[in-house]
Amino acid sequence: MLYATLVCSPARLITASSIFSKTFLFALAIGIVFLSSPSLLDAQTTRLVVLKIDGLPNDTVEKFVQERDPQTGKSQLPWIDHIFYQGGTRLANFYVRGVSLSGPSWSMLDTGQHLQIKGNVEFDRYTLHVYDYLNLIPFFLKGASGGQVDMVGVQVLDSLGIPLLLDAWPQPERYSGFSIYQRGPRYLTFSNALQNRFKRPPRELFDEWTMGLELRSLISDELIKELILKLQDPQIHYLDLVLQDFDHLAHSNADRASQLRVLKELDAVIGQVWTAIQNTPEAPETALVMVSDHGINSTEKIYSQGFNLVKLLGSAAGGGHHVTTKRRLLLDYAIKGLNPFYYFITTNTPDSYYLKGQSDEYPTALLDFDGNERAAIHLRDSDLNLLQLLLLRLREKYIAEPVRRALTQAFFDTLGRRRHEWASNAEVMKVELGALHRVIEKQSELWKARPRKFTAAELRLGRDDDLNRIGARLKQWQAQERDYNEYLRSVNSLLALKPVGFDPAKLRIGDVIPRQAMGENNTVYQLQNYVVGFTAKGPLLDERGELDLERSLLRVNYFSLLQNITVRNNVQREVSHRPVDFVATTVPVEALRGYFRDLDEAEKDAVWIYGGPNQQALIFARRDAAGQLSFLYHPVRELVQAADGSIHLEATSWQSGLPLKVFEDPDLAIPAGDKEQWLSQWHTDVEWLRALHHTRYSNGLVGVYEVLGHQQALNQIAETMSDEQLLRRLARRVRRLTDTDLVVVANDHWNFDARGFNPGGNHGSFLRVSTHSTWMLAGGSHTGIQRGAVIAEPYDSLSFVPTMLALTGKLGHDMSLSSEIKEKGFGPFPGRIVKELISR
Amino acid sequence: MANTVISRTANCQFKRSRSIPNRAALWLVACFLLQFGCQALAQTAVPAQPTDQNEFLRLEVKPVSGGGELITIQAKVEDGRDSAPLWIPMVSVLRDTLGDSNPDNDRLRYLWALSYTRPTFWRRLTGAVPFLYTHAVKNPKPAKNPPPLIDLATVDQGVWEKLAWSALQAILLDPYGTPVRASTRAYRQNITDYRQSQIIQALSLLSLYQESGQPRAFTGGELKEIQARLLLTDKTFGGLVNQRKLPRFYEKENTKARDERGHNWELLRQQAEANNLIFEPLLMPDGSATHALLWIDKAELQSGAAARFDGRFLNFSNPWTDHRLQTWRGYSERRFFDTDQRPANPETPGATEVELIPLALYGLDNPKIPALLVDFRDGGNPRRREMSRRVLQDVTRNVLALSQFGDLPYFMGRSTLNFVTGKRGMDFNQPSRLKTYAQLKLLLSLNASLEPELRSGIRDRAGLVSLNPLESGDEAERRLAQDQYTALLNYAANPDGLPARVARDRRTEMVKLEHGQPARFMFRLANVLSLGRYTHSEKETADLNERLDVARQMAFHTNFLQEVAHSGLHPGKRPFSLAASPRLDVVWDLSEIRSSLRFLAEHGEAAGSKAATATAQIFSRTGDDDVRRDCLATLSQINNKKARTELTRIAQQPNLAQSWRDLTSLYLGGRRSTDPTLSSGTVSTPGQPDQH
Repeated sequence: MLYATLVCSPARLITASSIFSKTFLFALAIGIVFLSSPSLLDAQTTRLVVLKIDGLPNDTVEKFVQERDPQTGKSQLPWIDHIFYQGGTRLANFYVRGVSLSGPSWSMLDTGQHLQIKGNVEFDRYTLHVYDYLNLIPFFLKGASGGQVDMVGVQVLDSLGIPLLLDAWPQPERYSGFSIYQRGPRYLTFSNALQNRFKRPPRELFDEWTMGLELRSLISDELIKELILKLQDPQIHYLDLVLQDFDHLAHSNADRASQLRVLKELDAVIGQVWTAIQNTPEAPETALVMVSDHGINSTEKIYSQGFNLVKLLGSAAGGGHHVTTKRRLLLDYAIKGLNPFYYFITTNTPDSYYLKGQSDEYPTALLDFDGNERAAIHLRDSDLNLLQLLLLRLREKYIAEPVRRALTQAFFDTLGRRRHEWASNAEVMKVELGALHRVIEKQSELWKARPRKFTAAELRLGRDDDLNRIGARLKQWQAQERDYNEYLRSVNSLLALKPVGFDPAKLRIGDVIPRQAMGENNTVYQLQNYVVGFTAKGPLLDERGELDLERSLLRVNYFSLLQNITVRNNVQREVSHRPVDFVATTVPVEALRGYFRDLDEAEKDAVWIYGGPNQQALIFARRDAAGQLSFLYHPVRELVQAADGSIHLEATSWQSGLPLKVFEDPDLAIPAGDKEQWLSQWHTDVEWLRALHHTRYSNGLVGVYEVLGHQQALNQIAETMSDEQLLRRLARRVRRLTDTDLVVVANDHWNFDARGFNPGGNHGSFLRVSTHSTWMLAGGSHTGIQRGAVIAEPYDSLSFVPTMLALTGKLGHDMSLSSEIKEKGFGPFPGRIVKELISR
Repeated sequence: MANTVISRTANCQFKRSRSIPNRAALWLVACFLLQFGCQALAQTAVPAQPTDQNEFLRLEVKPVSGGGELITIQAKVEDGRDSAPLWIPMVSVLRDTLGDSNPDNDRLRYLWALSYTRPTFWRRLTGAVPFLYTHAVKNPKPAKNPPPLIDLATVDQGVWEKLAWSALQAILLDPYGTPVRASTRAYRQNITDYRQSQIIQALSLLSLYQESGQPRAFTGGELKEIQARLLLTDKTFGGLVNQRKLPRFYEKENTKARDERGHNWELLRQQAEANNLIFEPLLMPDGSATHALLWIDKAELQSGAAARFDGRFLNFSNPWTDHRLQTWRGYSERRFFDTDQRPANPETPGATEVELIPLALYGLDNPKIPALLVDFRDGGNPRRREMSRRVLQDVTRNVLALSQFGDLPYFMGRSTLNFVTGKRGMDFNQPSRLKTYAQLKLLLSLNASLEPELRSGIRDRAGLVSLNPLESGDEAERRLAQDQYTALLNYAANPDGLPARVARDRRTEMVKLEHGQPARFMFRLANVLSLGRYTHSEKETADLNERLDVARQMAFHTNFLQEVAHSGLHPGKRPFSLAASPRLDVVWDLSEIRSSLRFLAEHGEAAGSKAATATAQIFSRTGDDDVRRDCLATLSQINNKKARTELTRIAQQPNLAQSWRDLTSLYLGGRRSTDPTLSSGTVSTPGQPDQH
C-alpha cells in the first residue's frame, strides 16, 4: 500500500478532501495496479536520471575518489564520493558483455538484449551498405529535411523490434541528450548553445578568446543545461545525458594530470545535476544513475601503438586487397577528410594480383578498425575471387585449348560446388524481398496520405516524428530492395551460366561477378586457403589435364598471417612486438561432433579462437529452456578445415598460454577441487562470469561468443508466413549479412586505428582493463537505493535495462513485464536484475 | 650571505601551502636558518655534490635583504666526456616575501632565464639586417644586472608596451620606406623570437622540475601560474588574462602539448616501421620522450633490400637509393637487438648485432607533425623548412608591406596556403620549430645516454635550425648562464641592486592603494607613452610594508574565496541557475573558507566588491550555519556599496529561512558582527538552512 501511494503521487492523494468516501475506489485502484503490474513492490522510483559516460573505467574513478586533493583535503572527485560512494550504491564488478566498444556496448545497455550491433561500423556483405553508427552529422543534416528521424543504430534496432530503455516512457515524459542511439533530432540545442556561449560577461569572453575558445564543449554544456532545466518539469520521468569527454581525452592522453582534469569537470557536472535534483519536489523518488559503456586501456608513460591492417591487407603478402573502411586513413591529414558524408573509403593497392585499378568496383576486403583494440574483417568470398580469376584468364585471346578447357572446367566445378547454397539463399531472399515490395507499396500510400500539419499537442506527443519515421523507413526499404535485387541479379546471372554455349569473351564481368559485394561469408577452409591470384607461372595443369589448383593459385592463410605479424621497432618494455593477440571466427558445430561429447544441445556455431598453431580454443554455447546460456571451452591445436567442410584438430588438455589465458591466471575464482575438470565442463554465463571476472580477460569467454556467436537459423521459410513475419525475417537476415569473417584482437597496448593515432589509450578488446566499466546509483529516500553500499557480485551489460525497469516498477523481480512496457514491445530480458541495490 | 641548497639529500621541503601547519612552517624556517648558517656562499656554478645519481635538477634558495628570496633551479649538465657533470644555474625566480614567513602575502616577481641577456650593440645591429638568418656574432656578453625574462607581478604592462611599439612601428617607422620598415621589423621579430626561445627553455625546465618530484620551493598553484604566464607571452593580450583562469589554461595547454607529443611519437614510429627504419625515442631525465632519432640498418642498405619509401612526414630524401649512405663515413653505431627486437646487450642470448646510421632527428613537441631538426645527410634541409614561413612573412609583410587585414587577395591566398600546408601536415610554412629546438638544447645537456660524438654532431647540425642572429650556441649559453648567475647574485647582494629594486616595486605596488582609477589610468598612460621608461612610484613610508601585507593578504583571500565561489561548476563557466549550484560543503574544507572570511571581516575596510560578491555567493552555496554566519558577518564588515547590496538581496530572499533574513536585517540595521548576540546560537531551522 505504501508503495502504491508513492506511485500515485502522494501529494495528490493526501490533499484529497474526502479520503474516507473514496476508500473503495482507492482499494480498487490499488488492486488493478497490483494485477496489471507485478513489479509494484519496486515502484518507488518515479524518475530516472541516467548519466551515460563514455569510456569511464571503474578503476580510474576508484583511484581518484580515494585520493585526497591537497588543496581542499577532500576527495579528488568530491561529488562522486559524496553522491555514490557515501550516499549511493556502486557495482564494483560491472563489465561490458561482448566487445568493449561504444556502438555495440551502448546498444546492449540501451536494450538489455543480446548484441545485434557488433561494431561502430558494419558493412552489408551483399551491398556494401555502411552502417556508420557513430556519425551524428549526417543524422542531423538529413533530419532537417525529414529524411532521417533516428540514428542508424535505432533504425536497426527498430527493424528488429527491439525497443530502447527510453521507449518505456512516452515521448512527453522523457528527455534524452544527444547520443548514438538517439530518437529524433533536436535543433534548438544548437542555436541555444551558440547564444548561451556568448551570453557571458565581456571580461570572461575576452579571457576565453585570448586563451583559446572552448568550442568543443559548446553542445555538451548546453545539454547539461537542458537536462537541469528539464528536471524542473514534473511531467518528465526519464532523463539521460551522454558525456564523452573522458573517452575522447583518454584516447590521446594517458597522463594523470589530463585525465584528472577531465574527471574533475565530470564530477562538477554530476554535482550540478545532483543539486538540481535535490531542489525538485521529486527528489525523494528520483534515482541518479551513472553508467559507462566500457573501460579504457590507458597507462601513464606507455603509448598505445597502432598497427595498420589496411596496409597489411593491401600488401602482396596480405592478399593485395583493395580495402574499404569507413574513414580515410590519416583523416586528420587529409583535406578530403573534412567531408562528414564520406564514410565509404576504399584504399587502392598497387599490389593487387588481378584487380589493379578496379578498387571502386571490386574492393575485396572490408575493414572495421574502429574499436581500436579489435578489428573486424570481411573478405570477399574466396570462390568469387576464384571465379573472377578464371573468367579473366578465359577472356584472354591467346590461350592454349587444353588450358581453356581446364579453366572452364574449374570454373563450372567451383560454381557447381556453391550453386546450391547461393541459389537457395537467393530464392529465400527473393521471397522476403517480395514481401518487402508489397509493404513498400502499402507504406507509400500511407506516406502520400500523411497529414501535413500538427497541433501543438500532437507535436508534444511526437506525432511529426512518428510520421517522418514512416517516410524515412520507406526510403530505407526502397534502397534495400534496389540494392539487394541488384546483387541477386548478378548472382542469378552467374548461376545461369552453363558449360554449353559458354563464351567468356562475350560476358561482362560485372554482370556475373557482383560489383561492390563480398558474397557469402568464408569458411575456415577458405580463410586458411584464401585465393588471391594466380602464381607467376599462371594456370598449371595436372596429369589428368585438369587445373592444378594447388600449384596454380596463390593463397593466404589469414590466421597465421595475422597471428605472426611482428614489428621491428620495439621500444617500450611493456609492449610486445606482436600486435595481434588472437584471431577468432566461427565454425559449424556439426563438423566438430566427432571430437567432443556433450554437444547435443549446442548452438549451431562454435567460436574458434586462434592464438597460434598450438594455442587454440573452441567455445560452444547452449541455451536451456528458460533461455539461459551456458558455455563450454575446449582447448585444441592445429585445427584445419578441409575443402569438403570436415574439420581436423587435436584436442589438448588445459595448460598455460591458451587463448584468454584462463588456466594460469592467479585470479581465477572457481570452486576448490580439480581446476581442469571444472574448466572442462559446461557452465552458465553467470558461473563463468563469477569465475573469470577478476582475470586478465575478465568475461572474455562470454564476450567473444556474444560477438561472434549465431543464435538463430534463417534458412527455412514457412509457407504461412505473413509479410510482417517475412519482413522481420529479412531484418534478421540483413543483420546476419553484417557478420564478419574474422575478428582480430590486439595485444595489450596495441590498437588498429588507422584513421589517426590513439597513443593515450584504447578499448575494444576483452582485457579486463577495457571491459571493467562503471555503474553507480544514488537516489532519494523513497527509491530504496542503498547508501554507502558496494556490490561485489559481478554483473554485465545485460543487467542494466532490467534493473532500471525494475527500479521504476516496470519489471517484476521475477522478470515479469508490466503491461505498460509489454505493449511497447519489450520482450523477456536475458540479464539479471541487480537486486542488491535496493535496501529492504 | 649564504645560500641554501635544497636537494633530496638535504631532505628539506619548501612546500608552500596555506594548509601547512604553523609548526611545520617553523620547522622549515629552522631548517632554512640551519642551512643558512652552515653553508658557504656559492658565487659561481655549484660543482656537483655527492647527491642522488638520478637527481638532475636541484634548487638553490638565497635570501634577498629587505624581504625576498631568490630561488634558482640548477641542472646537472652532461657533456658526455669523462669529466664530471656540472651543475648549471638555469632559471631564477624572485619571491617578495615582505620579510615574514606568512606565505599568504608573498608575491612572485621576476623570472630570469640565466642564458638570456641584453644583446650587445653589434648583435642588435645584425638583428636589424633583413633576411640575415644566421648567427653573426658568436659570444654574448653577460649583463651586469641580468635582465629578467618576465615580471610576473606586472604582466599586463608588457601588453601595453607591445601595443605601443606596434603603433610606433606602423605610424612612425613603416612610412619611411622598405629599408627602414624591413630592418625595424626584422629587429623586432628577432628580439621577440630571442625572448620567446628563452621562455620556452625556461618552460621546459620548469615542466621537468614539476615532473621530477624534487623538493618544492613553489606550490603547485605557483608553478602553474608561472608556466601559464610564460605560455601567455606569445599571445598579444595574454598579460591581461584573469589570474583565476591561469591554472585551467596551464592544464589545458599541458594536455594539448602531451597530446601532440604522443601523436608525433606514434606518427614517427609508424612511418619508421612502414619504411623499415629504426625508431629511437630520446628521453628527458624524467622519462618523457621529447625527441626521436631515425636510423637505418647499414647491412640492409648494402644488401639492396630496399623497401618502398614514403617520405611523407619524414621529410628527407629516400635513404634506400642514396649512394652517400652506401659509402657512409659519418657517424654510425653498433647495437644489439634480441629476438623480440628489443635493444639488448651483446651477452643476451640470440642477440644480433646491427650497425646503424643516423638519418634524422625530430622534435615531438610540435603541432601536427614531428619537427625535423637534424638531417644527417643534408644539414640545410631543416633550416630551409624553418625558413619557409619566415621568408614568406618577411617578404610579404616587411618588403611588400602586405597585410592580411588590408589586402583581401593576399588574405585569401595566405589563408589557403596556411590551411593546405597545415591540414596536410606539410613541413613548409609551418609554425616555427623554436620550441623543439630549445627543448633539444636542454635534452642534449641533460641526457647522459647519447654518445659524445653523436651528441656533438647533433648539436652542430641542430644549430643550423636557429635563424635568429641574436641566438647563441649551447656552449656560449652555458657560459653565459654561469656568468649571469654570478652577476645576479652580486646584484642581489648589493643593497643598491636587487633589494633596491624590490623596494621600488613595492612603492609602485602602493599606487593602487593611494590613488583612484583616474589617476592610475594617467600613470599607466604615461608608462605606455614612454614605452615603459616611466613608472610611477609612491614615496617610502614607515607603514608601507604593513599596508602591503594587508593588501596582498586581502588579494590572496579574495582570490581564494572567488575560487571557492566558482568551484564545483563546470570550470570556467558561471552558474546558469541557482538550482544547479552545487553546495561547497562537499568540495571544500570549510575551516579554510572560514579562515579567509575572518580575514576579510577583520580588514573589511580594505576589501573590494569582488570579495563581497564572492562572500555572498558562498552564503548561497553552503548549508553550513557557521560559514553562513561568517559570510553575513564579513559582508557587514566590508565597507562598500556592493556588500550592502548583497546583504539587502539576501534579506529579501523569500525562500530563505526567516531566521537568516532576520539576522541579515540586523546587520543592515547597523549591528556589527562583533556584537556577541550575533555570533552564537542557531539561526536556522535544523537541517535545512537552504533557500528551499
